[in-house]
Amino acid sequence: MIQEVRVMVRDSIPDSKGDEILFDIHQALGINSVEKVRTAKVFRFEGISENNALFLADKLLAEDIFQSFRVNSTIIDDADFTVEVAYKPGVMNPEAASLMKSASDLGIDGLIAADSAWEYGFYGKKVTEADIEHIVNGLLVNATVQYVVKESPKTLIIQGKPGPTEIIPIGSMSDQQLIDLSKDKLFLNLEEMKVIQSYFRSLDRDPTDCEIEIIAQTWSEHCGHKTFKAKLIVDGEEKKPLLQRLSDATKESKHPLVLSAFVDNSGVMDFYDGMAVCGKVETHNSPSAIEPYGGAMTGSGGVFRDIAGTGLGAKVIASTNMFCLAPPGLPADEIPPGCLHPHYLLRRVIAGIRDYGNRMGVPTNNGSLHFHRDYRAKPTVIAGAYGILPAAGCQKGQPKKGDRVVAMGGRTGRDGIHGATFSSGEMTDRTIDVNASAVQIGHPIEEKRMFDAILAAGDEGLIRAITDCGAGGFASAVGEMGAETGVRIALDLAPLKYPGLSPWEILLSESQERMVLAVAPDHVERLLEICRNYNVEVTILGEFTDDGHFTATYGEQQIMNLDMDFLHDGLPQRVLKAAWKNPQLSSFKTSEPADWPGLYKKVMRDLDICSKEPIVKMYDHGVQGTNALPPFSGVHLDGPNDAAILTPILGRPYGLVISHGLNPILNRIDPYYGSIWAATEAVSNAVACGANPNEMVLIDNFIWPFPDEEQLGALDMAIDACVDFVRATGMPFISGKDSLSSTYRSQDGTVIKIPPVLCVSAFGRITDVTRTVSADFKKAGNHIVLLGYRDTKEMAGSTYNQIHGTLGSNLPRINLDNLTCVLKTLYRSISLDQLQACHDLSEGGLAAALAEMCFGGDLGAVINIPDDENPVNFLFNETAGCFLAELPAGLEPIEVFGNIPCRIIGVTSTDKKITVKHSEGKLFTLTLNELKTAWQQPMKEVFR
Amino acid sequence: MIKKPDVCILRADGINCDEETFHAFESAGAKCTMVHINQLRRGEEKLSRYQILALPGGFSYGDDIHSGKILAVELIYFLKEQLTEFVNNGKLIIGICNGFQVLVRTGLLPYRRLGEIKTTLMDNSSGHFECRWVNLLIESSHCVFTRGMAGRVMSAQVANSGGKFYTSPDILQDIENKGQVVFRYAGNDGHPTLSYPANPNGSINAIAGICDSTGRIMGLMPHPERCVSQTQHPNWRRLDNNISQCCRDIFKNAVEYVREA
Repeated sequence: MIQEVRVMVRDSIPDSKGDEILFDIHQALGINSVEKVRTAKVFRFEGISENNALFLADKLLAEDIFQSFRVNSTIIDDADFTVEVAYKPGVMNPEAASLMKSASDLGIDGLIAADSAWEYGFYGKKVTEADIEHIVNGLLVNATVQYVVKESPKTLIIQGKPGPTEIIPIGSMSDQQLIDLSKDKLFLNLEEMKVIQSYFRSLDRDPTDCEIEIIAQTWSEHCGHKTFKAKLIVDGEEKKPLLQRLSDATKESKHPLVLSAFVDNSGVMDFYDGMAVCGKVETHNSPSAIEPYGGAMTGSGGVFRDIAGTGLGAKVIASTNMFCLAPPGLPADEIPPGCLHPHYLLRRVIAGIRDYGNRMGVPTNNGSLHFHRDYRAKPTVIAGAYGILPAAGCQKGQPKKGDRVVAMGGRTGRDGIHGATFSSGEMTDRTIDVNASAVQIGHPIEEKRMFDAILAAGDEGLIRAITDCGAGGFASAVGEMGAETGVRIALDLAPLKYPGLSPWEILLSESQERMVLAVAPDHVERLLEICRNYNVEVTILGEFTDDGHFTATYGEQQIMNLDMDFLHDGLPQRVLKAAWKNPQLSSFKTSEPADWPGLYKKVMRDLDICSKEPIVKMYDHGVQGTNALPPFSGVHLDGPNDAAILTPILGRPYGLVISHGLNPILNRIDPYYGSIWAATEAVSNAVACGANPNEMVLIDNFIWPFPDEEQLGALDMAIDACVDFVRATGMPFISGKDSLSSTYRSQDGTVIKIPPVLCVSAFGRITDVTRTVSADFKKAGNHIVLLGYRDTKEMAGSTYNQIHGTLGSNLPRINLDNLTCVLKTLYRSISLDQLQACHDLSEGGLAAALAEMCFGGDLGAVINIPDDENPVNFLFNETAGCFLAELPAGLEPIEVFGNIPCRIIGVTSTDKKITVKHSEGKLFTLTLNELKTAWQQPMKEVFR
Repeated sequence: MIKKPDVCILRADGINCDEETFHAFESAGAKCTMVHINQLRRGEEKLSRYQILALPGGFSYGDDIHSGKILAVELIYFLKEQLTEFVNNGKLIIGICNGFQVLVRTGLLPYRRLGEIKTTLMDNSSGHFECRWVNLLIESSHCVFTRGMAGRVMSAQVANSGGKFYTSPDILQDIENKGQVVFRYAGNDGHPTLSYPANPNGSINAIAGICDSTGRIMGLMPHPERCVSQTQHPNWRRLDNNISQCCRDIFKNAVEYVREA
């Protein structure tokens, strides 16, 4: 018998949740028939009496001051329509555990299971069934994880019996049978399938489903990075693998601060006071495409675990996110079958990042959004995290024979089965149906308390090695940790969310919030004690051996016995051909607009450029108290800054600077110079605030369409760009990730390739955060100085060109030696306190940078475009590595910047207008207010 | 040497502002200990060892059901005696953000009666989480934490999705009459305001923080612990050197009060 308690805000009091949904119904769906929405929470309890349900309602569930409740009866009874939405059975509802705990704390016995759901009442005489269906599907329910409750469930308990371990008769399969076995499940090619076949033939046996699954997972593109490790034939000439070129460049740079590069879950650089900092940036495109909220949450959760699983454990201190989506206003009929609307994606991805980071207490303080209609089939969702750890414990740990395999954190469920292999496949219009199990809802509190316990265990030196359970679950985490030794685990010991998981599912499950540790036998008892204190479930799954095998049992049965060498090194190296073909792009000549203020506003209103303040304010960017340069500052706290600066050791002046650069459009024109631009933009953002270019490191993320010959050619050029960048600037890449599956194919043959993305993240250290600048103008009458090398004719890929419906062909070609000089000079001037403000030029060019500095300072500006410059190009060229700086009048730019190109282009003013002159003749004037309104409008329309 | 007051920084699943609260009290001259609620429940730790109890911000138990509710239930049902003794001995309690939500849900605020919930913190009128800097007018009250600060307008960050203070008209009148309102959201002119975003969550009477009748128990939604030094303020580059003074003084006042006692 299930007791139901329904709770709602009293009639006399506004229902904020209902109001928020009403806003979305009007704004996002354009349905105006709904006049009011009221919400109620539904709680279900199994195994207790109605009296006890009443007691819980009174003491726990409802607060009399503002809420009313009913037990076993409806509560919204005057609405025109009501709909109840719950998580599907098996999708973990994080609230269920809290209900169980609190009921037990209140002394209620006999409660077997609990759950919660939301009920929505819609009011409006003109509301139709069709409206409700549209609201339910477009706003309230993601069918991947939720459902509409038509009838109250009879039980909350999930039953199930594990299936038997199957033997896959691979030895006798034909090529076609191998291909069929791989399709939709293993995502391996025929050659790889045949290597597996011959391995088992040599053992004279057939594999279990466990063994096949773990090989497929380890050899997936996601985990095996087959393309990045492939031998390349570029235009007929052999080149080293992409990954090797990057890591060789890092080694050659011999950067003295790099402590760990490309070997651990994140890259580590030295910090101060015996501490080190680490960074990792991950993509989570495939899950986010089908369930953006859960996808973004688990993206954050996963990258946080990468940080926590670095060295012998690190504390997560920052979160970043970068998204590429289709414009939120894209007409619904342009969305390909099987794909979600970008308006929904945008809001839900941001909600996911918000709810995970905020709950974890990790400040989210750097990020960006980019829009292009070719992301309509598959978005790019990038989440980064940074951490701090003792330098003495920053090297990846290595288990010893006899160390225990310890699983920590959340329980194992059927979540995310096939996540690793799934994200390596192309997306098709079948993806949502076939791979629905690849998505789950994150549980940040589970992860938070696990991290609390890990940090406590790390402080006591109890951890020999640690890694997170990400793609591939236990298979990947345990298999990698024991790669050098051998390991044996008993899968039946793993705590499960519900019964019925087959052994291979336990092994491969990608349930979130789990980590694996290697712990010496002597330390196990103390670790268990710490975990108990933090309410963290912990299980000894097995131990590390010295037999070089990965062995798993389930009860009495051995279900896996694989050679580690075969598992990790048996994957044949691919040989891939690459050839980039220059696109046929027509050149484009800019022309003076009839309406200058109109053009300026149009650029500022562009989705890539417009203010993202409503989003940033939903992230807790201040938790941990470490912000020394927040995302927004200035008179009205609405002027954006280029980077985040944190003081991760409270009370000390040491700064960690975090920034990134990304431009999907330029890579379509020229992957080499597009990639140079991204790296330049990343480091320019940091140096504009005062970062020291000698003490910075980089992280790469390649998010590419499926690598056919042409796309691989593009990738090859992007890697060349990265290598050249490292050599010229001395800043090495120390961590990276590739995601090479962003191509969509529908059954009717439509193919959509995303614009290829290289996202470069940069982080570095500075000795004193008081020697940094923000972007907001500080004082009227100061000089505005343009700094850096640029050829303003290079307009290709600019926002200006795109507004005019073209890309152009002449893109910014940044000279890296010149850039290095500019960065060093700029750093010196900021560290000497010579600048009042500084902002780098990027999307929207000088015009956008100037406007943002004016917004921040609530000051106007009068600028004069030099005679020899074309005004359109001067204002809207987007060459990275150039800056606007605010200098006190009287200080000559040449005294500050020496022989770097620099010139005074104007002065700040009190009049709150931007006036632009050319050859001393006035071109136009417009008020800050109208410009700012245009700049703030787009996101205000999406977010309340 | 002056004895440092002992501060118990309470931890529980999902509390996440513990380290900055620790830092704020230590900078003010206190000696802090992180204490997990389970240590108190098991009796390994006793509240009686401390002079100040700090309930930091975060999402205790995920803010499931109501923000701070599950932790409040735990405190009421497992630590009732210890808490009662702590309060009766004239010791100090501060609850920040989620800690404030816990204090109202235990009944310690506003009337020091465990289990009697008379005020609440509801979902923000905006319907979502919001992190922004606000102005706070410090009211004239007998609150220990704001001694000597009445009339000043301070800058602090709010970061929550459920900070809308609400209660019945009678209780509201009563806590106003007794001078238990400590902080109000203020506009740029320094006057209390009901209008968004200066009042970020729609709190009645612009209430951002309250205390009990003795002034020794205080809760507030904004985060003073996030701004105890100059560079923690978003506009430290533009503003004078005292921008973090008020936030700092809240912790100093607590430390000094204990030293005097």
